[in-house]
Amino acid sequence: MNLGISALDYIEAIKNGEFTVEEFVSETFDQIKKVDGKLHAYLSLNEKALDQAKELDKKRKAKEKIGSCMGMPIAIKDNICVKGTKTTCASKMLEKYVAPFDATVIARLRKQDALFIGKTNLDEFAMGTTTEFSAYGPSKNPWNQEYVPGGSSGGSAVAVSALESVVSLGSDTGGSVRNPASFCSIVGLKPTYGLVSRYGLISYANSIEQIGPMARTVKDAAFLLNVIAGIDPNDNTTVDNHGEDYLKNIEAGIDGKKIGIISEMVGKGTDKEVSSATKKALAKFEDLGAKCEEISIDMVDYSVASYYTITSTEAGSNLARYDNIRYGFDFDLEGYEFNSYISKVRRNFGPEVTRRLIIGGFVPSAGHAGKYFLKALKVKSKLTKEINSAFKKVDFLVAPTVPILPFKFGEKLDDPVAMFLIDFNTVTANLTGKPAISVPFENSNGLPIGIQIIADSMQEKSLFQAAYALESTTNLPKVPL
Amino acid sequence: MVSKEEIEHIAKLMRIDLDDHTVHIDRVQKMIEYFDILDKAGTESEELIINEQPLENLREDKYEPYGDKLIDKLKHYKEKFIRAPKMV
Repeated sequence: MNLGISALDYIEAIKNGEFTVEEFVSETFDQIKKVDGKLHAYLSLNEKALDQAKELDKKRKAKEKIGSCMGMPIAIKDNICVKGTKTTCASKMLEKYVAPFDATVIARLRKQDALFIGKTNLDEFAMGTTTEFSAYGPSKNPWNQEYVPGGSSGGSAVAVSALESVVSLGSDTGGSVRNPASFCSIVGLKPTYGLVSRYGLISYANSIEQIGPMARTVKDAAFLLNVIAGIDPNDNTTVDNHGEDYLKNIEAGIDGKKIGIISEMVGKGTDKEVSSATKKALAKFEDLGAKCEEISIDMVDYSVASYYTITSTEAGSNLARYDNIRYGFDFDLEGYEFNSYISKVRRNFGPEVTRRLIIGGFVPSAGHAGKYFLKALKVKSKLTKEINSAFKKVDFLVAPTVPILPFKFGEKLDDPVAMFLIDFNTVTANLTGKPAISVPFENSNGLPIGIQIIADSMQEKSLFQAAYALESTTNLPKVPL
Repeated sequence: MVSKEEIEHIAKLMRIDLDDHTVHIDRVQKMIEYFDILDKAGTESEELIINEQPLENLREDKYEPYGDKLIDKLKHYKEKFIRAPKMV
C-alpha cells in the first residue's frame, strides 16, 4: 500500500474498494511506530482511530452514506481543540488540559468522516519557527534529521511529509503553516483572515492568525479548505464564502495573469540557492503565460518589527487566562496570595513564551506605547494600503516562502533577531489578512525550497489555480525515509 | 535604548518571576532594540485602520446552556462557586 498517496487518490481508492479504511489507518500507525521515535511529529495519538476506521468500513459495507473524507487520516496541530483529547499547545501549562469541545474546523471534518490520527508538535503556544521551543522536545526534518522542520506547525508538516498522515491542519500567525511546509516540501495555505473559523483554536494573536490546511498536493489543500472554510456563528470575524468550491476549475492555468515579485523579499539576506530557485519559478510562470514584474513594497522592511510588537501584545492578554484555576493546571491555594499564586503558575511557561509575555507587557505600556505599539499598528495600516494598491496592478505577489534554506538545530537559537528574520517573507500576509500559499518547488542538495504566492483577500480560488500551475512544472524527489 | 530596570519593572507587573534573570532580560532587551527600526518607517501621518462591526452582524446575545458541567473539571469548587486565592 502506498501511504504517500494524495488525499483525493485515497478517497478514490476507498470508493473503488482498493483497500479498506482500517487497512490504511493500521498501516499509517505502523509507519508512525517506525519513524516517529526519531521524528517526533506527534504529541499524542488517537487510540480510538482503528475502531473508528472499522466503524466506517462497516457503514460502507452496509451501503450507508459516509462523509466526503471517507476516513482520510488527518493530523491536528496541538493548539486546536478536539473534544475529549489532550490539547497541550506543547506547553507544560496545559499538560493536563483535556478539551471539552470540538473546534469548528474539527466538527466540520468529523461531519465529513475524516479520521483524527493524533495531535502534532509545535513551538510552545505557536511562538517560534523551528519547534525547538516545544516543551516536549523538537520535531526533526524528515529530509535530514539534523535540520529543523520549520515551525511553529512543524509536527503537522513532518507528519504529512513522513507519511504519518495524509493531510494535516496547522495554524499560521506569522508563517507557521507556510514555513514548515516549505522546509518539509509540502503545500501549506494561510487563508484570508476570517475565511476559516478560529473557534477552538487556542489564541495567541487572534487579530491575525488563521487555521490552514497542509497537504502533499495543491488539490488536497483546496479539498481540505472546502471542508473547513465558511462562516461560523461562534467566530464573529468569519466571513461568508457562499460555499465556494476551491477544487472546481483548479486546472484553469494562469495564462495572461500578472505577477509581482516583491523586491524587498528577494534582496539581501536571501540564500543564493533560494534566490536561484525563485528565478527559476518566475521563468516557469512566464512559460505558463504569466507576465512578471518587480514590485517594491516599502513597508515590508518594517513588517517583522510590527508583527512581533502586535503579536506579543495580543499574547500578553490572551495568555492571561492561564491563571492556575482553569485549564488543567492547578495547585493548592493554601499559602499564596493572589500575586504570588499567579507568578508561581507562570513559571510553567517556557523561556520563549516568558520573553514574549514580557515584551507584550512592555510595548503597549504607558510611556512606551507611542514608540512601539502605535507605530506597529501604523506600519500595519500602511503595509495594507501598499499591498492593496499592488493588487490593482497585479493578480499575484510572489516571493520565496523563507529567505533561507532549512538550518541545523541550535543554529539560530541564541540569536533572537536572526530568528525574527526567518519570518521576513511570511508576516506580510498575516498583517494584511491576505491569503498565501507555499508550494514545494525545488530541492537543493536534499533541502527543500518553497515558493510563496500571495493573492488578494478571498481570492483563494485563483490562488489555488496559480499554485497548481506552478506545482505542475515541478518534479521533486521522494522524501528519504 | 531601553534599560534593563525598565524591562524588569514590566516583568514584575506582568507577574513574571524569572529564575534565569540576566539571560532573559538580555534577550528581551535585544528583541526590543530591534523594534527601534519602527522609528524609520515614516508613518507619523498614517491613520490607523479600525475595523468596525455593525451590531446587527453580531450573533444574537442569548443564553445557550453548555452541555457538559465544566466546573467539574476544576479542583477547588463547591456547588456553583470557584475557590480562588486571597486578593489581599
